[in-house]
Amino acid sequence: MIVLYLYPFASSIYGSFVSDQGIVTLQFYETAIINYKADILFSLEVSLLSTAISAVLSILMAAYLRLTSRRIARFFNSLYRIPLFIPFVVIAQMMRTFLAPHGLLNVFLAQFGLINLETPLQLFDWKGLTIGFVWKQTAFMTLMTLGGFTMIKDEMIEAARSVGASVLRVVWSIMVPIARTIIVVALILTFASNISTFSLPYMFIGGSVPTTMTVDIAHRVMYFRDWGTANALGVISYIIVFAAAIYYMRYMVGRESYG
Amino acid sequence: MFTSRSAITRTNAIFIVAIIIIAAIAGGAGWLYYSKPAEKVTLVYETAGDINMLALAQNVLGPEFEKRNPNVKVVSVHTGPGDAGDTTILEKLKAEKDAGKQVWDVDVAMVHQVFMGEYIKNDLILNYSTTLDSWKYVTTPLAKNSLGTTVNGYVMPMFNSQVAIAYNPKYVTNVPKTFEDLVNWVKANPGKFGYNGIKGGMSGVGFVAGWLYWKTGKYNLYAVTGPYDKANEQGWDKAFADLKDFNKYVTLTAGNVGTLDMLNRGELWMGPVWVDMFYTSMLDGKMDPSIKLVIPKPGLPGQPMYFVIPKKSGNIELAKKFVDMVMSPDMQGSAIIVKYNWYPGIDGKYVQSYVTPQVYNRLYGEIPPETLLQLGLAFPLSGYMVDMGSAYEKYVSG
Repeated sequence: MIVLYLYPFASSIYGSFVSDQGIVTLQFYETAIINYKADILFSLEVSLLSTAISAVLSILMAAYLRLTSRRIARFFNSLYRIPLFIPFVVIAQMMRTFLAPHGLLNVFLAQFGLINLETPLQLFDWKGLTIGFVWKQTAFMTLMTLGGFTMIKDEMIEAARSVGASVLRVVWSIMVPIARTIIVVALILTFASNISTFSLPYMFIGGSVPTTMTVDIAHRVMYFRDWGTANALGVISYIIVFAAAIYYMRYMVGRESYG
Repeated sequence: MFTSRSAITRTNAIFIVAIIIIAAIAGGAGWLYYSKPAEKVTLVYETAGDINMLALAQNVLGPEFEKRNPNVKVVSVHTGPGDAGDTTILEKLKAEKDAGKQVWDVDVAMVHQVFMGEYIKNDLILNYSTTLDSWKYVTTPLAKNSLGTTVNGYVMPMFNSQVAIAYNPKYVTNVPKTFEDLVNWVKANPGKFGYNGIKGGMSGVGFVAGWLYWKTGKYNLYAVTGPYDKANEQGWDKAFADLKDFNKYVTLTAGNVGTLDMLNRGELWMGPVWVDMFYTSMLDGKMDPSIKLVIPKPGLPGQPMYFVIPKKSGNIELAKKFVDMVMSPDMQGSAIIVKYNWYPGIDGKYVQSYVTPQVYNRLYGEIPPETLLQLGLAFPLSGYMVDMGSAYEKYVSG
């Protein structure tokens, strides 16, 4: 723990404030913010958006799997977990061909006349990135949310249904509040995972403008050998994730009402 | 779950027997593996670069050398791509020197240009190449100068890679011969030229370097003679502002492979590529075979990788023999050109008789050796390279 996690963590914070010559300085933060503020915002936006979409999809999927007793649900139960085992690198390669201007998606839509292949959907930006994140993270969030939903007793759900509550109402007003701690943990983990992913944005959008913070960290190290600014960008990402975690835990779990 | 006493004993017994068998097999395998005939000498070859470098070492260079020298075992070690891989080798040799080791454990290494100054300054490598048989085949100036550092005698360039502009002749009827032509074509065909900017791939970085050389006209200053002086960067603001304008008409790709894929699928009609990656993907069926190459004036950069021999290697004569073998015309032909589609580290004319006309034409048909000598440039000196990256971020992406 200390060697593999605490030491690198502490040394990256140290490295963001201390130059090669041992002088304490804020120049790395200056460079990081001046050069990359658009990318920092972009990372934040894409991560929030994909986390939100994953959350909605996973709640619906988990609710479906919890509430249905049909046999086909068991099939979906195994199917939805597949992305869990697929690393981001592989997803990046998949999306690179699937979402390309003449890739599978565009060619498929063109067959039905939905788009013109001369002006295909341009997805090599935040849209495609979001699709990649959602595809992978929905599986994880569904797994966790379903775990939370499974602990809800059938009687509670039946009681609500018996007084006339619709399925969606039951999900939103009964199931989500009961499982909210697990859902919030899933949200935090997914958000942290999205904002820290390197392989997907690097392989998918790489040199585009804007790009994610993770690509910039790599660029700073590989092109400029500037570990100071890379560390500064890293520390900024720690702050973002901590802030998000505190916000989620306090404002979403702390609420008393089932509203 | 509770089981009867006799079942526990039987389970334990099976468990113990299994452990003994596994230990015996492991021990036997270890003994067989580690007991070599006493006469075999081990040559340690450490290479930076992408996985193709390791594949070359393990599948081609190692076995060939072992075949020619049956008392030798070649152990190939891979340190990885980019500067990180090169740094690993440099740090290792520095550490061995500082620790005062008498015999270092790397016999021969393959590195990029970037740290040659460090190797020489710290007295880590041998001056050997002019004593080799194959030195007479080497004509490239890159064997004498590496990004501003004089390296004569310290290196043998195993291959040279080159950035060129790939174009689809179905759509590109007026092939651009100069950067000026290229800009005019791009403005007339917006979105059809793609490159990866300055992040994510050196083909994009190569294009930006070519742009800089063209706009400033100062290739020799920035890449050959130096010196590095920020005062020499007059006019960069205009050069990069023009690039920002140019970028409005281009598609930014994800990297080297991104550009190649988009060219293959017809989404791009033109873009900078590494020549070896281009031909390798064509041979693998991943590139439209009608796509062609051109280098627009004043040229585009390329980079070699060098053989260096650590000063205190325990097998200096063997290491020299290894390098000599790889630099010989037949290996340059069969391994470097045929298998990996790189330009040879020796002069093309010596290799011609060792490869089929078909292979020779594939590599030199569109860009003959004379053109390569004139338009195959070097990357800028490291100081200018760093400033180029900053200027791009400031004027182009900012």
